[in-house]
Amino acid sequence: MFDVDILRESIPVIASAALVTIQLTVAAAAVSLTVGTLSAVLQVAGGRAGYWLSRAYVSLMRGTPLFVQLLVVFFALPLLGLRSQAFFAAVLAIGLNSGAYVTEILRAAILAVPRGQVEAAVTIGIGRLAVWRRIVLPQAAITSLPMLAAELTIVLKSTPLASVISVTEMTYAGVLIQARAFSAIEVFVPIAAGYILLAQVIARIARMLERRFEPLRG
Amino acid sequence: MSVDWAALVPYLPDLARGFAVTVALTFGGAACALFMAIGLVLATSAGGPAIRRSVRIYTEIILGLPILVLLYLIYFVLPQLGLRIGEVAAGILTLTLYYAPYMAEAIRGAIASVPAGQVDAARMIGLNPVQIFIRILLPQTLGLLIPPLTGILIGLAKDTAILSVISVHELAYATKRVVSRTYTPFEVWALVAGLYWLALSALEVLMRRLEGRVTRFRASGASA
Repeated sequence: MFDVDILRESIPVIASAALVTIQLTVAAAAVSLTVGTLSAVLQVAGGRAGYWLSRAYVSLMRGTPLFVQLLVVFFALPLLGLRSQAFFAAVLAIGLNSGAYVTEILRAAILAVPRGQVEAAVTIGIGRLAVWRRIVLPQAAITSLPMLAAELTIVLKSTPLASVISVTEMTYAGVLIQARAFSAIEVFVPIAAGYILLAQVIARIARMLERRFEPLRG
Repeated sequence: MSVDWAALVPYLPDLARGFAVTVALTFGGAACALFMAIGLVLATSAGGPAIRRSVRIYTEIILGLPILVLLYLIYFVLPQLGLRIGEVAAGILTLTLYYAPYMAEAIRGAIASVPAGQVDAARMIGLNPVQIFIRILLPQTLGLLIPPLTGILIGLAKDTAILSVISVHELAYATKRVVSRTYTPFEVWALVAGLYWLALSALEVLMRRLEGRVTRFRASGASA
């Protein structure tokens, strides 16, 4: 039932596809953090237009399946005159989707920074941008660290969806091997273990960062 | 960028049929997951250390496992172990196994938030355990339960789209078939995204109404 030869053949393929999974996760997380931070700031300090723009973005991203968003982005790229590149589309879709959740996380953390700090900073002549960059956002990032780490795990768990637009990450590599070897157990059990392992790595790094920043938490 | 929306009209009945299946999968899956979640909560509160440990390991695995991988494990690996399973059953089983631990967590959190003193007080004034559950615990935990359960339910509803990869005939699957005939993937997928958005927004509003109904006692209450 469990064919060791298939396992031996599939492990290197799965391992190299795991690298694609990691690249997808890191790239999508970068998009997510950037867009999420901008959107959170816009919602808190962007006036009425900024507030509604950010709300609309969050509602659209949270109110539709990532599966559908991936396909919309993938097929929208050529219409915008860009070459439809699957990996790029996956990074963009997963990143934009997660950015909506990061918006909500950071918005709450930004509002938790005492207003007096901002007033004091402005009074002693620190510029608006510097107040955000050096006072509000660093504190918001530290308070929301556990939730941002959980969101990173969700990004990792979303990457298999990139297989629907044929990105050969870990899960799609498994589907391809499975179709050739006519056996699934030797393929999907190690893949499942791979994801659980990667999720554990994220949890470890998060705990390390939390301990590192513990003295700075309010 | 030319978008021909009129070309989609003949396919609307196909999409409507897919939508009906998506709704059925959502509520069917949520009901099974809720049932299993209650089982998990009971197992951790009343079971022995071995049971508690297995529930913890199972929860830990689900938290790190992508739902698509779970779906493939169930749909491709179970038959190899001698358990033949259809697409719809595999889909429901996946939703159940994946979402039950999240729901169990929400239930545990809600129950823990009711002060133990209330139960003691209720017993003192002569309420029996069934009355305590129905009149004291349930009304209070329901209000606390609905917000997290709404989030989980919406997550589950969105994940039904993933079941299209094993050919469950829900909305995303119907959409793929329409695309294969119209060759207008962007228009069709954008339209369907709008449909999901409307349906999920309606679901959210509905759940908020429900929350309002079960928490109306709070408005007239002395505190909080």
